[in-house]
Amino acid sequence: MSTEEQKNFESNNGDQQKSGVSRRNFLTGTACLSAAAAVSLSPLLSAEEVPSGDDFIQKHYKELSAEEKKEIFARLESQIQEKYNVKATISDPPPMEGVEFAYVLNLGRCIGCRKCVYACMEENNQSRSPQKQYIRVLKMKKGTINLETASHDYPEKEASSDDHFYMPVACQQCREPKCIEVCPVKATWQEKDGIVVVDYNWCIGCRYCEAACPYHARRFNFAKPQIPVEDINPDMGYLSNRPRYMGVMEKCTFCLHRTRRGEYPACMEVCPTGSRKFGNLRDPESEVRKIIEQERVFVLKQEVGTLPKFYYTFAK
Amino acid sequence: MKHTGKKAFFEPGEFLKKILLPGMIVLILFFVFLGNGKPDIPDPTPLKADWYTPETARGEILENTVMPGNCFICHSVQVPDPNVIRPQFAHATIKLDHGVNNRCYNCHHIYDRDSLAGDGESKIPFATPEKLCARCHGIIVQDWKAGTHGLRQGGWLVKDGQAPVNFTCTQCHDPHSPKFKYDVAAPAPTWPAKTIRKARHTDNDPKSAYLTDSNQERF
Repeated sequence: MSTEEQKNFESNNGDQQKSGVSRRNFLTGTACLSAAAAVSLSPLLSAEEVPSGDDFIQKHYKELSAEEKKEIFARLESQIQEKYNVKATISDPPPMEGVEFAYVLNLGRCIGCRKCVYACMEENNQSRSPQKQYIRVLKMKKGTINLETASHDYPEKEASSDDHFYMPVACQQCREPKCIEVCPVKATWQEKDGIVVVDYNWCIGCRYCEAACPYHARRFNFAKPQIPVEDINPDMGYLSNRPRYMGVMEKCTFCLHRTRRGEYPACMEVCPTGSRKFGNLRDPESEVRKIIEQERVFVLKQEVGTLPKFYYTFAK
Repeated sequence: MKHTGKKAFFEPGEFLKKILLPGMIVLILFFVFLGNGKPDIPDPTPLKADWYTPETARGEILENTVMPGNCFICHSVQVPDPNVIRPQFAHATIKLDHGVNNRCYNCHHIYDRDSLAGDGESKIPFATPEKLCARCHGIIVQDWKAGTHGLRQGGWLVKDGQAPVNFTCTQCHDPHSPKFKYDVAAPAPTWPAKTIRKARHTDNDPKSAYLTDSNQERF
């Protein structure tokens, strides 16, 4: 190659750089990119958690009229029928007038058997694989409440140890919930009876609320929730225990589909020791009110100012 | 050809050929053979019924009812010994483990086996054992009446004609060995290991703020 030819080549090369990519290369690149995009998006075609059109245009729970709710519940029921072959009923009991729920847990009695944890899983249709549990039972050495050294993954044979006490922690249903303040789409809010709920169809899964909660009470569905068909609880509430989707946040709702009908939450009903007490805080004759008046109760992490309605006590 | 490698690297056609195209092929291979596969999640197993039915806890204890029937069939001929500690004959299976309360006739009426012993000569029927327990454990019985102690089922809202189910003392505690015994414990969570926060110190770690035997003098 002579010097002239080399100059020509370089100038040609410079021309090409100025004019951009050649047509051939551009087409090849575009074809490759679109092929890669198509292939990378192809798992969506076989995904099971793609929302239907009606799911997609569904409004926020608070903007729904009674008829719209009826339609949505019917649609969700048919989806559940399709998926699990279970005849489920989705109810939506409204908050009762003059009722504010509170929970009292007697740590002096709790033996850490974790029955509440599994009753909660059963009642609330929580994912079994990967496992989701609202309640964590913290095992602590007697003498001090030290959350730093508490463990919640102690094996079952370490339950009811005499040297330890057990502190079940779930959603504290705060009066000043930090989780609802951070939600960018208002998919979680506090109901009139004090229960903090999530609209699973409105949640975008940003997990801000999980980070904001000082009690680690919220759970995120990283994977598609899996429940055996025989374990499905057909008595479902729209805001509480209907099956969740992948990518949404969920939390304890004091079993509102039960408690708003006057029943006890599942964790309380199943407790063999009677250390759990649930009731209406505004009723002066209720158990919780009497315990709060008579016993020395405390709340978890009082200093963060969330004002929980979940009280702990060390009564006999 | 004398142009340098540096120039060729920034030349767009070469860039496409040398980096973008192989990259795309690798990506496509990844998505076709690896990315498209379903994650290997085992099928969930159903929960054990013991862990969520409220019946099991009570059922176990209710079996403690010892020898139902008319006690006079045997006890009419036996002369009662008020100091008897170890139950004999038909009741040999009973192990009395009630603290310092180690005499049968502290609780059972000495002349009427179908009743419990009240104050003096009075009798307490078996249907209301809390009256007997209140003779020693008055404060706890008061708590129980207020709802602080013990288990209540039914519902928090008392509806018309639907009283809450309140368990009496002997439905949870075996009167001969009253320490609450329950050993149906459920296993630890099987969350992904990275989301399970381990305790930083163990029980035996001297740095731990536990009130252990070794560092008790610090508190």
